Amino acid sequence: MTGPADFDLLELATPYALHAVSEDERIAIDRQLAAAPAPVANAFDDEARAVREAMAMVSAATAVEPPERLRAAVLAGIHHGKTRPSRWRTAILAAAAAIVVALAAFGAGIALRPAHTPTMAEQIMAAPDMRTSSTPMAGGTATVMFSRNMNGAVLLMNNVPPPSQGTVYQMWLVGDKGPQSAGTMNAAAITPSTTHTFTSLQNSSVLAFTVEPGDGSPQPTGKIFAKLPLT
Amino acid sequence: MTTAVAEPLGYRAMTAPSAGADLDFLLRRVARGDADAFAGFYDQTRARVYGLITRVLRDPGYSEETTQEVYLEVWRTAGAYDATRGSALSWLMTMAHRRAIDRVRSEQSAGQRESRYGAAMVERPGDLVADSAIAADERRRVTACLDSLTDLQRQCIELAYYGGLTYAEVSQRLSANLSTIKSRMRDALRGLRGCLGMS
Repeated sequence: MTGPADFDLLELATPYALHAVSEDERIAIDRQLAAAPAPVANAFDDEARAVREAMAMVSAATAVEPPERLRAAVLAGIHHGKTRPSRWRTAILAAAAAIVVALAAFGAGIALRPAHTPTMAEQIMAAPDMRTSSTPMAGGTATVMFSRNMNGAVLLMNNVPPPSQGTVYQMWLVGDKGPQSAGTMNAAAITPSTTHTFTSLQNSSVLAFTVEPGDGSPQPTGKIFAKLPLT
Repeated sequence: MTTAVAEPLGYRAMTAPSAGADLDFLLRRVARGDADAFAGFYDQTRARVYGLITRVLRDPGYSEETTQEVYLEVWRTAGAYDATRGSALSWLMTMAHRRAIDRVRSEQSAGQRESRYGAAMVERPGDLVADSAIAADERRRVTACLDSLTDLQRQCIELAYYGGLTYAEVSQRLSANLSTIKSRMRDALRGLRGCLGMS
């Protein structure tokens, strides 16, 4: 299995932000996020945040004026005994609660986690020789995590706009025999955080990107607009 | 690809009185224990919060209770709001949705939530009482953006976000595999963001 479908964690960012995962899954996701490499965790956060901002705007579509009595009840709730704790105490309590939750999540996550065969992407990211390189790309960022021992790489593109109509982004693994096509991405494949898994790096030293017409080209015809070292 | 029928809302909508920077400002004052700011914050957001909760819970009594809990949580945790991690409105609506979903899952089995969904589908928001805090044209544009999604995408959002089903339950209900549902949700959000001018 290759490609974005391989990358379980990031695929869950949207359901997670929509609260469309079960409690067990949420705990498992939080645990995986805590252990994930920073670029993966950041990409997950970016997408989850984008989903929440969008749904906050969508809330205009379901707005309903509540009964007037609710206002009095809500305001009375906060005046009740003026029991609001001071800010530093709130912060300490919140921090303590977060630690308890994190520990519980960690324990429960291990206990609940079914036997799991690591995906290629997970194996690459866990590899002792895993290395990372990043480059700006069309206003966004491309990051590649690669392992020579695993002979594979995971590409992560954040906030890269889709290619214009009738073109694709084409990826090239460049080695001593010149560029070899490593796949294309059309507009539909590009999301706020797009991932791709490469299952064979051969002897390539660079991952390069061009814009190609139609479904892509056998050899690059466009200028290389971004490249990432694989050494 | 879906075709957006509405004009993008852009940042104009995000800075509108109902959803703008002054909410962040109010929330910072709430964090300092300012009860007037809290009342202002309630007035600017109550229709969104109550409306979303009602849409999920479909019970006025539960919805009032849950709305009250949400605003108490706002009062207690406003100090934890971090503007660098998102807008005040999304912080609030995330909290409201989370509580509504928790409530509906604790009250109802997945089967019940599914059968409620049937009722949810026929109801259009057009007959709801308009309120002063949300401009009619903002509501209309956002509704148009929801309508610009494909039926399959909208169905996913309806079942999950408003119906309280997990994506796994959605996949069972629609007899579609999990990765199809995940990508449908992702595409739906992508379409919404594009239509709302947030891409």
